[in-house]
Amino acid sequence: MYGRKGYQLVKDFASGEKGQLKPFNSKLFDETIEECRQNQRLIQSLMRKMEQEGLDVQNNRNADYYGALVHHLSLIRNKRCLMAYVHNRADIVRDLGWRVGLELPPEIQEKLTTLEKEYFKNHSAAIKSYMGKAGIDLNVDMVPPKDPYIKVRVVGDIDEGIVMSDKTTNFARHSMHFLKRTDAEPYIARGQMEELTG
Amino acid sequence: MRLSLACVYGHYCLFAPVLFHKPANGVTIDPSAETNYVEQGAKVELPFWLAHELHLRQAVSINLPACFDQKTRLEIQADAACVDLRSRCPNFYEFGCKLQPLVTDRTIGILLSTAFKIRYKERLTKVFTATHLTASKFLPFLTIEETNLYEAAHLSMTAFKKWRTGGPRFQRASILGRKRKES
Repeated sequence: MYGRKGYQLVKDFASGEKGQLKPFNSKLFDETIEECRQNQRLIQSLMRKMEQEGLDVQNNRNADYYGALVHHLSLIRNKRCLMAYVHNRADIVRDLGWRVGLELPPEIQEKLTTLEKEYFKNHSAAIKSYMGKAGIDLNVDMVPPKDPYIKVRVVGDIDEGIVMSDKTTNFARHSMHFLKRTDAEPYIARGQMEELTG
Repeated sequence: MRLSLACVYGHYCLFAPVLFHKPANGVTIDPSAETNYVEQGAKVELPFWLAHELHLRQAVSINLPACFDQKTRLEIQADAACVDLRSRCPNFYEFGCKLQPLVTDRTIGILLSTAFKIRYKERLTKVFTATHLTASKFLPFLTIEETNLYEAAHLSMTAFKKWRTGGPRFQRASILGRKRKES
């Protein structure tokens, strides 16, 4: 009651590690919606009571009015929490396209709802289409590099025979390569390669 | 309607004592109350967001919560840098700023700015020079706002050192979480 479930939902989001996405909390989400329904039922019963007493619901300011007001405010509060939850998760999902690339690793996928995955797919398609039309890859480092090539070590499992912009190579684990920055960036972002310096 | 989590989250866990100017039916605000009726003149603790909304509609007046009581003020006057503000209220400053226009007490603003100036100068500026031991002693006393400033300073220091010494420019995306140990 009185915005409690909405608060718990938002707290659940905020309690995750900074920058990490938690799995969608359907249970709390549904409980918040149910709490809204309880508020609504009480608003309706209080307004019905006022109508039965022949009072003008819009302008009369008696105890029933203020009771209905409290429930109305609580319902709006819960609604705001629900929207904040979905909105903030959507922000992260959009950001994923830039940070992790256009293919999501499974450990992230399992934290998203079907709708969120759909949203990510459509957003990635829009990014791809835009970059195609602009003729430029926007997903590379903004800082001009001193050297177009960097040294990397493969730390994850990468499929064989990947085609880089200037060669085809097999990326065995622990092997080291001298690659173009732009080719290596997405693999580093996904944790499959690490940059070697010095 | 701002949808940032900070403004939604921060307000609920804060309670403010209110005085009801109007009665309210069908509402069990006080869990210990036997009836679902709030009398005119009742004194109840409400979540701050609700107190604020009802105050806007002139249904309640808001009083100062305990975290701004005389004891806390005297401690701040005596030695602001040593007061455990986090235990009074984790959002001491933000809560105080929001309360200030709503309560009759006109001294909240001065209390907050005095406390912050002293603590910033005595504690937060020392982040670059304090040893880990000294720093860890007063960290639990910092409010959320002060902790954010402290961490921001730390981050910028780390970034500066990394720029000085050089290091890998690209990193694994932070959203992927910590690296699993490779078998």
